[in-house]
Amino acid sequence: MTALPRFAVVGHPNKGKSSIVATLAQNDGIAIALEPGTTRDSQRYPLSVDGRPLYELIDTPGFQRPRKVLAWLQAHSASASDRPDTVRAFVTQHRDDPRFHDECELLTPILEGAGILYVVDGAVPYSPEQEAEMEILRWTGRPSLALINRIGEGDHLDDWRAALGQYFQIVRDFDAVHAPFETHLSLLRGFGQLAPEWEAPLEEAVGYLRDQRGHRQHRAMALIAEALTDMLLHVESARLADDANRDALEHDLARRWRDRQRQREQHLRRDVEALYQHRHLHRREQALDWQGGDLFSEQTRRAWGVSRAYLATAGFGAGALGGAGVDALAAGHSLGTGALIGGVLGAAGSLYYGEKYAGKLAALKLLAPLTGGGRRAEFGPVRDPQFGYVVLGRALEHWFQVSHRNHAGRDPLTLDQGDRHWLEQLPRGDRQRLQKALQNPPRHPGDGKRHQALEQAVENAGAAFLQWRSGNDDAE
Amino acid sequence: MSRSPLPLLLDFDAQYQRDRDQTPAFLHRRDRRLALAREEAGAEPPSVAEWLHAVNAGHHDPAPLRRWRRATLAFTGAGAVLGVLTMLGLLYVTGPARINVTLFVALALLQLLLALATAGQALAGWRPWGGLFDRDRHGAPVLRQLQPQLAARAAQAGGLAFALTALATLLAQVLVRDLAFGWSTTLQTSAPAYQQLMDALAWPWRAWLPAAVPGPELVAQSRYFRLEGGTPADPALLGGWWPFLTLLWLCYVVLPRLALLALSRWHLNRRARRLLRDHPGYAALRERFATPWVDSGADEPPGPAPARVEDTPAPPPPDHAGTLIRWAGADHPALPQRPDRVLDAGGSASLEQDRDALNRADPERPVWLLVRAWEPPTGDLADFLDDARAHWGPDTVIALLPLTGDDPAALAPWRRFAARREDPALRLCAPPAPVSEEARP
Repeated sequence: MTALPRFAVVGHPNKGKSSIVATLAQNDGIAIALEPGTTRDSQRYPLSVDGRPLYELIDTPGFQRPRKVLAWLQAHSASASDRPDTVRAFVTQHRDDPRFHDECELLTPILEGAGILYVVDGAVPYSPEQEAEMEILRWTGRPSLALINRIGEGDHLDDWRAALGQYFQIVRDFDAVHAPFETHLSLLRGFGQLAPEWEAPLEEAVGYLRDQRGHRQHRAMALIAEALTDMLLHVESARLADDANRDALEHDLARRWRDRQRQREQHLRRDVEALYQHRHLHRREQALDWQGGDLFSEQTRRAWGVSRAYLATAGFGAGALGGAGVDALAAGHSLGTGALIGGVLGAAGSLYYGEKYAGKLAALKLLAPLTGGGRRAEFGPVRDPQFGYVVLGRALEHWFQVSHRNHAGRDPLTLDQGDRHWLEQLPRGDRQRLQKALQNPPRHPGDGKRHQALEQAVENAGAAFLQWRSGNDDAE
Repeated sequence: MSRSPLPLLLDFDAQYQRDRDQTPAFLHRRDRRLALAREEAGAEPPSVAEWLHAVNAGHHDPAPLRRWRRATLAFTGAGAVLGVLTMLGLLYVTGPARINVTLFVALALLQLLLALATAGQALAGWRPWGGLFDRDRHGAPVLRQLQPQLAARAAQAGGLAFALTALATLLAQVLVRDLAFGWSTTLQTSAPAYQQLMDALAWPWRAWLPAAVPGPELVAQSRYFRLEGGTPADPALLGGWWPFLTLLWLCYVVLPRLALLALSRWHLNRRARRLLRDHPGYAALRERFATPWVDSGADEPPGPAPARVEDTPAPPPPDHAGTLIRWAGADHPALPQRPDRVLDAGGSASLEQDRDALNRADPERPVWLLVRAWEPPTGDLADFLDDARAHWGPDTVIALLPLTGDDPAALAPWRRFAARREDPALRLCAPPAPVSEEARP
């Protein structure tokens, strides 16, 4: 049985060691830029699959007194062959010395067999002051890789590459905050190249991480479909006393209905963030707003790509899908008349309801009288066909940003309402299915067929959104 | 572990609602672990019942079904009482003379019709009485989908109780009284036609129990007209209807009710199984069972936040400084009142150079120590300050000047560093001016 691959992430204080560990370990709770001088121990972050560890990252404190350590090593070494032993002797000698606590902490895992991941900041110019650290690491004789992180705006990567190449086997650039997921995987593969026996477990880990990402996307779409169902069907109800003011009750119920929709949307946001293990995320987003008809303004329609023409086209397709069922029943003898009639009715219905309920979420319904007087009044479910598109578009934008955000990121997540013509990416058939699913959401938890249809439509929408968004990012 | 589908569905839904407050990571870890334990034992992933037993220690909440259990009991009790009363009413309402067979047959067929209507309503999922239950907003939402089937089960149970007690009452009356049956109708019908009708009704048993089929003679002789008021030729003959009526009630009321009760139970269980299969939590659970749990140790709590320090404005550096020490390459070419003696220490300087700087500095006047604020204070600097204090004595003012660049927040670690030193002669001073581009890397 081969030993577990371990990697000690080391370097000068404040050069992004923790941000690299945070990104690779998918942990946004790892304190970044912990203040040097405060006592700090190494933290281990194993990656395990079903309880079986595949590799371990060790976040270590930064070098505090590298010149003194190197001076000690040089004073106690007779030849190049005894250097690893001299480093071991240093740790043994100074284990209880508070001045060298950080150095002992960072050197111990290396002496126990961990590979070295040395982190520098490529945004600042190369300075020979870090050579003492690199020299100490070279003395350990362990396989090593240098990572050039970029914390600021500067670009001194070439200088760093040239300098680090003299000390380390492999030199890689890695922007812990912005590197895309595929780069994370590529970096992990790079770790595997440090020793032949580490290659297989790292490759296995890469496969599992890729599967995990696919699984998360699937779950995120299911969460969005679930929230859409809740929001599309939500009804607020109350008792309308015989002498009560109907308008006041409608106003009150509409307010409660809107609040509930906002809460449900926030709940979805938290669920998606928890799914991607972003537990300390600060989010900036305009809440679903109905004041002044913002949500249903022509501007919002344009922003989310839900125009009258789109609704009519998608409505035609959704109607035609239903009409095609009639044709199928008639064994083709209707010559497609069912699909045509269904399509026309669907388009007309979408236009009619789109106009009738534009700017109006739902209406108050009065139900049968209640025993003891009064009547039951209900507000909802939503009638405007645009609502589902707006909620879906916002949810997909949030999902995209969360799923593409590295755990080292500390900036607030900003969700604005720019131009979002993502629906244009959706193939025609998927548009029609989406329209149909939004028009006919599952009526209850056991409505398996509709539930499946909505989930599939959202899944397709997610794939289209991803394609559209990735294309935009590439263009930028 | 086999459990009835309905409680299983309710428990699953309740657990699903509870799980919505858990993190996806926890749920995945918990469920995958269960699946792996089964896999190690060479078994399939756990069934829903086994899963519920594992995550919820087999706890079952009977509350959601209590209302329906009570409804079923009430229907059964009411049916039993009504069965006795209806049969007694039927046997007595026509008076001591003759009990009209036509009325009896009509009642049996009406019962059959009601039973079929109840079953049809449940199969179609129609709930005309739904408003009664919709008022209860606190019940399990999933039960709403089963209302037609639950109501049908309660109604069929009530109907069966009705049928059984009515049958028992009939038999008891046959035993203790001499019942005289006859038939009468306003319609223009003949005795043979009536007999044919009875014969048709008796098809379920006429082949194996011909004695329970009324013959032509019995039918002809038991016809009566209300205004005649006469007595039959053979009063003993009129009691001969009872085997037919008993079997009629048994075959058209009791047995259909029994069969439809069984059907309603089967339908309820089937619907509950389907609801469970289509439940949004079910697919997610299966997925958690089948997907490996990748753990990157992300459940650990975040590190502690640094201690807050008072954010008071730093004073300007003391005048008449005799020495400027540039720590780790920090420099500010446009520093006002720059001391004449400029020394280097830290960073790429050797330890000997540090000692040399200490020796060459003027301890009689304040010493400016220029540092880069964006590089955090290290142990090297702390050692240098210790050595400086030992070398220069406690009274030499050391002004720590962090060049902040364009990030004033970078000063916070330096405030904390200076505070931790507890050195009254060490002062953190305001940087002279925003550092120029050439000073900031």
